[in-house]
Amino acid sequence: MKKLISALMIVSFVVMGIAGFSATAQADDVKMVGVISKIEMTGKDAKSANVTLVDNKTEQAVTVEVTDELTLDKLKDNRIVVGDEIRCKYETKDGKNISIMFKKTAGC
Amino acid sequence: MKRVVFTLLAAGLSLGAGNGSAEEHPGKESIAKSGYNGPSTCEECHPGTAAKFLDTVHWKHASKVTHVENLDPTQEYGMKNRIYTFCNGNDIVNNLKETPKNAAGKTKVTGCNSCHPGNHIQDIGSTGPKAEAAIDCLICHSSDYDFRQRKVTKNEAGEVVITQDRSTKAALAVGKPAVKNCMVCHESAGGGVLVKRGFAFTAEYDVHAAKKMVCVDCHKAKDHKIPTGFDPNNWAHDGVRVSCLDCHGASPHKDPDYNSHTAKIACETCHIPRTGGAFAKDFTKWEMGADKFYEPTTLHKEVNQNVPVYAWYNQTVANTPHFIGPKGSRTDKKSKIYPFKIYLGKGFYDEYTGNLLAMDFAEPMATGDTLAGIASAAKTLGIEKYKPVPGWQTIYFSISHLVTKKKALSCENCHAANGVLNFKELGYSDFEIQRLTNPGIYFEKLAEKQKEDW
Repeated sequence: MKKLISALMIVSFVVMGIAGFSATAQADDVKMVGVISKIEMTGKDAKSANVTLVDNKTEQAVTVEVTDELTLDKLKDNRIVVGDEIRCKYETKDGKNISIMFKKTAGC
Repeated sequence: MKRVVFTLLAAGLSLGAGNGSAEEHPGKESIAKSGYNGPSTCEECHPGTAAKFLDTVHWKHASKVTHVENLDPTQEYGMKNRIYTFCNGNDIVNNLKETPKNAAGKTKVTGCNSCHPGNHIQDIGSTGPKAEAAIDCLICHSSDYDFRQRKVTKNEAGEVVITQDRSTKAALAVGKPAVKNCMVCHESAGGGVLVKRGFAFTAEYDVHAAKKMVCVDCHKAKDHKIPTGFDPNNWAHDGVRVSCLDCHGASPHKDPDYNSHTAKIACETCHIPRTGGAFAKDFTKWEMGADKFYEPTTLHKEVNQNVPVYAWYNQTVANTPHFIGPKGSRTDKKSKIYPFKIYLGKGFYDEYTGNLLAMDFAEPMATGDTLAGIASAAKTLGIEKYKPVPGWQTIYFSISHLVTKKKALSCENCHAANGVLNFKELGYSDFEIQRLTNPGIYFEKLAEKQKEDW
C-alpha cells in the first residue's frame, strides 16, 4: 500500500511538473538577419503582414508575422521592400512566428 | 487673374486651416486638376519658399559655427565637410558614386549626400533656379510618398541622380511633416535604424510621443529654419534653438524642491535617465556582410540600454583631434549639469600633423581596403603627404529624446553615495559630497511620499 501511494505521488508530481512546464514554457526569442523575399499584407485594413525572410546564415526561408504599426507603415509606403536586409527577432506561438523587432540593417 | 483669385482663396482657406493636415491643406483641387510639377506647384501659394530653403542646413548640410572651439568662424561646417569618427566620411570625400565591384561582382551607388532633398545633380549647397526646382518638398511634407520612387541611381547620361516621387497622389497628401517624414533620414544614420542615438520616438519610450506630438511640434520651423539643441556632436544649425524651457518654463514642477534644481541641472538630466545607440565604431577595419559588401563594425545598444555620464556644459564645445565634448564647470554661471552618451570611434590619423583623416567609403565598402578609402579622400582634399596611423576619438553625444515623467530620476538617485552623479568629478569637495549624499536631505519628504503611496 505504501508503495502504491508513493508511486501515485511520484506520478502526480511528474504530471504536475509536465503541466507546469507546458503552461509556462515559452519558445526562446529567435534572432536572425535575412533578406526579404516576399511581403503579403494581411488582416482587415492591412493590420498585419506576413514577411518572408531568407536567413543569411541558413539560407532557409522564414515567414514572420508583423503587427507593429511602425513597421506596417513602412511596408505600406515602401520604405521597406523586397530585397531589403532585415534584422529580426521573433517568437513562435501556436506555430506562428510573431515579430518582436523588425529593422532594416541598412543605414549610412 | 485666375491664379490671383485662386491664391487669395487659398490664403483665406489657410487662415482657417488648423494644423495643416493633408485633409485641410488648401489647393488640392488645383493639384488634382493640373498635377504636381515640383516646387513650382507649391510656390503658387508659398512664393519664395524654395529660395529660402536653399539657405538652410537641410539643403547646405553646413552652417557657420561659433560655439565650437578651433574653428574658423567665417567658414561653414557640417555634414558637408566635417571629419570625425562617427561618420568619418562627409559629402565631399564620400560623394554619391558607384563603388567598385565587390567579391560577388556587384556594385552599389552610395554616399553621404544620399540624405539630401535634392536630386544630386543639384547637390549640397547648390543655388539658383535649377536648385530651387530640384527640391523634393514632398519627402518631408507628404503622408503618402511612395519610397520606391526615391532611388539613388544613374541616369541615361551616366550621372548619379536621386529620383523623387512627384506624383499627384503624393502631392495630394501634402501637409505638416509627420514623424515618419523626419525618420526617413534621421532614423538610419550611422549604420542602421536607431543605431546612432537609439532614440525611438514612440509612446513606449517618450512622453511627448505618447501625447501624439511629432518632431516639428518642438522643432517648429520658420521659413524652414529648424530649431535644434546644442549637441556637442552636431555643429551645423539654422541659427534658431529649441529647449525644454520653451514650453515648460524654468519652474515646471508642482514640487518647489524640484524647481530649485533647474538653475543648475538641465531638464534632461532627470527626465532622460537612459539612452541608446552606438557607443563605439571602428573605421580602420571593416567587416564583410552576407551581400559581400563591407561596413565598419558598430557596437551599439538598444533603446534605453546605455547609462549616461553627467558633465557641466555651457553650450560651447571643446574640439581637438581626439576629443569633442562639453565645456563648462561648476563655477561657470552659464553651465548646467547635462547627461551625455560617450562614444569612441577609431579612425586613421595623420602622423605628420596629428589630424584625423577622412575616408571615401566606396573602395572600403567593396573590398574592405580602408587605406584605399583614406587615399581617395586625401586626393579629393589635396593632401599629398600623410602617414595614416590608427587612433581613437572620444565624442560626447547629447541626450535629448526618450523623455520620461514616470521614470524620471528622484532624490535618492543622485543624492546617494552610489548615485548617478560623480560629485567629485563635478567639482564638489569631500565635505560637500558628504552632505549631498546623505539621505537627511530628503528623508522626511520621501518618508511622507512613501506613506501616501502605500
